[in-house]
Amino acid sequence: MAEGTGRGESLSIWFFVGIMTLAYGLVLLPYGAYEWFSGHEAPTVLNNLHPTFWWGLLLFIFGAFYTLRYRPRPGDKDKV
Amino acid sequence: MHLPVLSLLAVTQLTRLTPIDLIILLLYFAVVLFIGFYVKGSTNTSEEFFLAGREMTAWIAGLSFVSANLGSLELMGWAGAAYQYGILATHWYWIGAIPAMLFLGIVMMPFYYISKTHSVPGYLQLRFGEGARGLSAVSFALMTILMSGVNMYAMAVVMRTVLGWNISSSIWIGAATVAIYVMLGGLRSAIINEVLQFILIWAGAALIPILGLIEAGGWTNLKAQIAANVGSNDYTHLWSTLGHFKDNPMGINWVGIVFGLGAIISFGYWTTDFLVVQRVLSAHNLRAAKMAPVLGAAFKMAVPLIVIVPGLLALSVLKNPDGSIMHLVPTDIARATGQHAYDEVLPLMLIRYCGPGLLGLGITALVAGFMSGMAGNVSAFSTVWTYDLYGAYINKKASDKHYVAMGRWSTVIGMLISVMSAYILAHASSIMDYVQALFSFFIAPLFGTVILGMLWKRATNAGGFLGLLAGTVSSITMFLYTSTGTDAHKMQALSRIALSPDAKPMAENMFRALWSWLICVIVTVIVSMLTKPRPESELNGLVYGATAIPDDGATSLWQKPIFWAAIVFTVFVLLQFIFF
Repeated sequence: MAEGTGRGESLSIWFFVGIMTLAYGLVLLPYGAYEWFSGHEAPTVLNNLHPTFWWGLLLFIFGAFYTLRYRPRPGDKDKV
Repeated sequence: MHLPVLSLLAVTQLTRLTPIDLIILLLYFAVVLFIGFYVKGSTNTSEEFFLAGREMTAWIAGLSFVSANLGSLELMGWAGAAYQYGILATHWYWIGAIPAMLFLGIVMMPFYYISKTHSVPGYLQLRFGEGARGLSAVSFALMTILMSGVNMYAMAVVMRTVLGWNISSSIWIGAATVAIYVMLGGLRSAIINEVLQFILIWAGAALIPILGLIEAGGWTNLKAQIAANVGSNDYTHLWSTLGHFKDNPMGINWVGIVFGLGAIISFGYWTTDFLVVQRVLSAHNLRAAKMAPVLGAAFKMAVPLIVIVPGLLALSVLKNPDGSIMHLVPTDIARATGQHAYDEVLPLMLIRYCGPGLLGLGITALVAGFMSGMAGNVSAFSTVWTYDLYGAYINKKASDKHYVAMGRWSTVIGMLISVMSAYILAHASSIMDYVQALFSFFIAPLFGTVILGMLWKRATNAGGFLGLLAGTVSSITMFLYTSTGTDAHKMQALSRIALSPDAKPMAENMFRALWSWLICVIVTVIVSMLTKPRPESELNGLVYGATAIPDDGATSLWQKPIFWAAIVFTVFVLLQFIFF
């Protein structure tokens, strides 16, 4: 049974957690890289630490792990 | 628990979103709406709609349990309180939560769970009869629907303040999205979104304390800078300033914090407010139901990092354009002078460290927090309305399908009433304090009734009902006594309720809770002793001493909820010493 979404469903709640954070990582990571390597950092405090890039990377790794770990597999629905 | 005040007012628009921020926000809306449609197929029976099928694991129920209280209203209000009162605001996250959450899991959950009740008013009906259930259900339904409106209005005001968005657009977009996903998936939708919101809040807000502590040069330097900026060491000590009302910025003493907040308000909120208890009732077995609050408590202990630390950091690092220290002020002064208000501290810190993309993530976290607050309230409203009011007094013998339909319709109607109350607040924002205070009228006496009902076999139906009524009426009376009349009268009233002429308004809430709980307990005990007790056979599954508590199935130390509760409690005690 997929955790949290109901008997007979195949997408777990943790899959949604993964897919959402992965999507955010995929948006932030390239944008952070663009800011860093093109020198277009936003005028925020400590922008020299490139927070958008690193935070995007962290979300990407976290999201990718959860998405893969809880991805729907064939036969998930039959396990009820 | 609700902060007495959160009344952001637009002075100037703080920032604007870029296209990348909008992508992040829209992604969130797309995911939550998809979830609503996705889980609708598994939300056909009343148990599925109102209790998420009772199939949640301890982790999901625990995260949802703590997340239901992690709305944006609380986040922004307590960050502002940390700026205003210093680290004392942490008490609302530690002593004002952890012991009560552990008590719920270890002591009270077995009774809620094995009685198979669907709600807290439902438990009161089993234990004390229809009178206590009716009083509790009506007050709870009213409060939840108003609080949903408060969340809606607060979100609209925050969006206007931070981004310059139109109030009506924010209200209707938020209301429609929440109505759709709760109507489709019931509690299951609400719980899934609360778990997502918990992750989002951390993803959106954790950078503030991380970058802030780097900028301040670490915790020790931060404390020194705060002491220099405010001219006092009082802002960074949890307990050492609580000897007397005069010694701390909050105007409270340790009696109010320990007994008013820690023993009554906290236990009342975390163990009897159905909004949070409903999440734990969705657990798939007794052990998960006991573990969920314990896990929730562990996560709760970490929340001050993203709420209190930003408020403290603002005392050190927030500067005006000319380099001088920025001073935040109460909302009414901000309105007159054009300065920033206390409640704006979190958005100000977000803007300080987060550029395009990260700003969108932070704003999305705030929006998710507000919408989750609406969803939590409206799903709890729909359950109590359908089971404890409609099903109990209007239509007792309808089919299960009919009650599910009623649950969906009451969600939509509840949201419409919330929209209406949000518009009323928009035109008379001064009543917001009163709406938020309403919860405090019922929570402390309700805890007295429930705890006596669970632990004392002799408590009778008449005792439970009259105790609850007396406690509630006394709380309202004390509130009116301290909040009406001339300023001189208010000060005198406050000094009587809080037992000190040096008490400040924050202390009133603590001591009022303490007195109303005591009145509830005393009346319940006296009336119970004068009335006929219920036969013990009727109390099986409801009261300690008359119930054989079933084994929770734990086979090793690692599986025992009490073991993990002991670890969480030890960490909690250590934190008190570290920040003493």
